Amino acid sequence: MRMRRHNSSESHEGSHGIDLAPMLDFVLNLLIFFIITAIFVKEFGLEVNRPTNINSEPDPNAKSIQVQILDTGEIFVDNRLVDMRAVRANVERLKALNPEAPALILADNKAKTGIIMGVVDQIRLGGVYNITFSTGS
Amino acid sequence: MKARQAHQESEDHGIDLAPMLDFVLNLLIFFIITTSFIKEAGVTVVRPDATTAEHRESGNILIAIRENGDIWMDRKKVDLRQVNILIERLHIERPDDTAVIVADKNSSAEVLAQVMDAVRSGGIRDVSIAANQPAGG
Repeated sequence: MRMRRHNSSESHEGSHGIDLAPMLDFVLNLLIFFIITAIFVKEFGLEVNRPTNINSEPDPNAKSIQVQILDTGEIFVDNRLVDMRAVRANVERLKALNPEAPALILADNKAKTGIIMGVVDQIRLGGVYNITFSTGS
Repeated sequence: MKARQAHQESEDHGIDLAPMLDFVLNLLIFFIITTSFIKEAGVTVVRPDATTAEHRESGNILIAIRENGDIWMDRKKVDLRQVNILIERLHIERPDDTAVIVADKNSSAEVLAQVMDAVRSGGIRDVSIAANQPAGG
């Protein structure tokens, strides 16, 4: 017992080379700074493409699923007036006909973002993730 | 004299700081790594709902569009023409940044499309539109 105590005090003396207290103070300060400035943003979003060439009109003959949104909020899928809840079913049908088809949303300038996002959501539920968003009057 | 010194030393060593220091350093490293300097928009907007919204991990430039078409970036109201310049500057500073457009439910499609184009021409290709994920969706 006495022997062990002697040993431990000797090893303590050996580890006294560096005083850690100032470093610890500094590190704690840094830590507090980073905790305070950390902002955890939980942002949920949908990715939507834009036509690559802004000046060119979308080709109406291209084999894409076309969804038009009027300023009144009416939705046309493949030139047929449909309800918001029916967009998914229509997209699924068109996707079955042409599985590789991207979706193209043609929205009126005055259409509401809420309706556009609802349509984007429905198209995604229908299984089409390549969505391009274009506006016009 | 000798006895007093020995007594003092053993009292000093009551708490071993090394494990605490390890822990604090780990915390510090965690906070340094997770800190991303997010450019908050500075206004609250009513987001559209979308069940397929995905968590945007790295979306750290937030651009808000209010109901009346005002654009907010970095806690300031900005003009549409300024968005392009600001995005270009941010893109040079941190090329990995991605943008999230937080558009109000009732904002018009025109402003949304213009802002998307401004962000894209500013050099940031990865643009998404923020949406609320409904609870349980």
